[in-house]
Amino acid sequence: MQSLADGTLLDAIRGLHWPARRVARGVAHGSHRSRRIGSSPEFMQYREYRPGDDASKIDWKLYGRTGRVNVRETHDDSELRTIILVDASASMAYPLPAMDKWRMASAVALGLAAVALGDRDPVGLAVVGGAGVEVLPPRSATNTAANILRVLAAVVPAGSRPLAPVLSILRTSRRVAIISDFLGDADALLERAAELVAAGREVFAVHIVAREELEPRTLGNLVVDPEEQTIRRPLDEAGLDEYRSAFARWREELASRWQAKGIAYQLAVTDEPADQVIRRVVTPAATAAVTREPS
Amino acid sequence: MTFLAPAFLLAAGMVAAAVVAIHFIVTREPRTVPLPTARFAPVRPVRTRARRLRLQDLLLMLLRVLAILAVGAGLAQPVLEPPRRALARIILVDRSRAVADPGEVADSARTLFREGDAVVLFDSTAASVRAGALDSLATLARSPARGRLSAALIVALRTASEMRERADSFELAIISPFAADEADLATDSIRALWPGGVRLVRVAARADSAAPATVAFDGEPDDPLRFALVNPRSAGDTASSNVLVVRGTPDAADSAWAAGGARTLVHWPATHGRADDAAAPAVPPPWAVRAAPDSIGGLAAGNAVVVAPFERWAEYDGGAAARAAGDGAGRVVARWADGEPAAIEVPHGAGCIRTVMVGVPARGDLVLQPRFVRLAAVLTGRCGGPVQPGTLDSARLASLAGQPATRHAAGSALPRPEVIRSTLAPWLFAAALGFALAALVAQRRVAGHARASGAGRDA
Repeated sequence: MQSLADGTLLDAIRGLHWPARRVARGVAHGSHRSRRIGSSPEFMQYREYRPGDDASKIDWKLYGRTGRVNVRETHDDSELRTIILVDASASMAYPLPAMDKWRMASAVALGLAAVALGDRDPVGLAVVGGAGVEVLPPRSATNTAANILRVLAAVVPAGSRPLAPVLSILRTSRRVAIISDFLGDADALLERAAELVAAGREVFAVHIVAREELEPRTLGNLVVDPEEQTIRRPLDEAGLDEYRSAFARWREELASRWQAKGIAYQLAVTDEPADQVIRRVVTPAATAAVTREPS
Repeated sequence: MTFLAPAFLLAAGMVAAAVVAIHFIVTREPRTVPLPTARFAPVRPVRTRARRLRLQDLLLMLLRVLAILAVGAGLAQPVLEPPRRALARIILVDRSRAVADPGEVADSARTLFREGDAVVLFDSTAASVRAGALDSLATLARSPARGRLSAALIVALRTASEMRERADSFELAIISPFAADEADLATDSIRALWPGGVRLVRVAARADSAAPATVAFDGEPDDPLRFALVNPRSAGDTASSNVLVVRGTPDAADSAWAAGGARTLVHWPATHGRADDAAAPAVPPPWAVRAAPDSIGGLAAGNAVVVAPFERWAEYDGGAAARAAGDGAGRVVARWADGEPAAIEVPHGAGCIRTVMVGVPARGDLVLQPRFVRLAAVLTGRCGGPVQPGTLDSARLASLAGQPATRHAAGSALPRPEVIRSTLAPWLFAAALGFALAALVAQRRVAGHARASGAGRDA
């Protein structure tokens, strides 16, 4: 996994763009097409002249060819406020002591922020963990990525604080990326995310899964959910297949439910490069989400 | 071998059996490991697994059992029983001032002594000699101290109690001249505690040991102490005296005179003639001149007590005395009211030298009063304290011997010793500690092996 601090991740994603999945409705200039009609040279449509229209917008060449007085409408470039919600619950610290899930989540969050900042989009961060909720409001300043890196580096995943209430207060952002293992309040989170989508927001879900969760190595032991200590079950060779199939079913069901709500879902396994995950998220084909773990 | 507290051994055996049972019977719950996706594991009852017995497990169990048994055996206090004899003797050997010839006493003791018997040497104190008793008898020397049968009998009872498992019956023999002053009011009571007869072996009493003190006085004619003494003789008449009181500084002749017989040299520095602000007289070691002479209100020596304002200018350095004289630091003959020694007697050859640091008042009639006369008599008495002339009468001796005197005391009739020390217990505790440490090491190895095998299985 690329290190957050040495810049290899940022080098790997240099030049990536994170375009809006649909026409943006922003009010500030950015790199995404907006429904607002502005001064951008990119043509959108002609419209019949109505009293009050700016006379300079009249396409006189068209008038010369057709005799109709139309005004030329162009797209207005718009910026996309982006917030990245990162799950920092205790399950994200797995496996200890490497905390691969948290490292992957941090890398993806930082990479997405860097890509968005490259598109001149304001980017914010919300980290939900045992210590509470830490929010960096969306900014497009040059030190925003550094601030995000600082916050992520200071977090130690703990507790089991739900994400859904936090998602509700992030509705002012046009684009929301949720990075989580979805082992907490997944249903409530999906419900809130669907509300955001219905309100015209773009929602991305990055599902972090540890390789050790896919292929448990400590067989013959009693496995315990770190966030729900009452879940203690034996896991041995005999139950491994049943575990795998149940986990896979859950992931597929989770992906289909999120995609059905119009949310771009991506699965990220801890042993794959973070830049690949980021590429899958930001490419327009992200809607064709990967739900099976890479081999 | 016998155990003083066998219940501990029984308890240790039960605990060890429990450990063995636990080792073989009890199963263990699987180790818990965190897994966030534990909810997808199939719901099954948590099954415990029986331990797989490995050689290391058996070694660990063995070490634990040994540690427990060693602790139990140590607490049970095993005592090795020596070979039991039919008869053992406890021989009380008198070495007090009353003995005429210590060699005669030693010969008598050797005649009675058999290997395994106990010898108790006594004068005013008594000590049991277990090892090297014959060597002690070979070097037996007479003490200037008075003999005390009560002390000897107490030590004999204690020794017999400690030896009660070594013989079926015990004989108590006393080799002594049985001087009259060797028995006291407690002697008969203590003798009654011995459950048998006592063989009395009488040896010759020292001819002069019972003689009353005949005091020669070496001092000024107007010395007030002279008036407190009863018929003091002149300093030149030491040939017919057995006590010499020197008010000045004794010379070598005085010292040789005391060492040459059972004589007492009393060095009693005079202070009555000096001025009030004059320096204190020189004092012999181990006495030292007090930094600030004070006044003390009373003095006690033997059964004589005098309450009067005495000047105290010297103090006794007991530590220096012990360093100078070894074990024989000296006997305190008189003490001030606050407990400090006022007169010390140390053995010197066949006699003794007594230093008395008591100021004799030159004014008043204190020296003429009977209480001070009694005090002076004690302080100028024979070595070892007041002498009661004569020997024990036949009735007292018969009481001491019992009827019949040859009746042996059964070992079972003797009291059990208050404290029996098991010499094996410390070794057992040390062994238990060793086993416990070894078990700890073995346990770590077993745990390491389990981790390694678990990792291999996971891989």
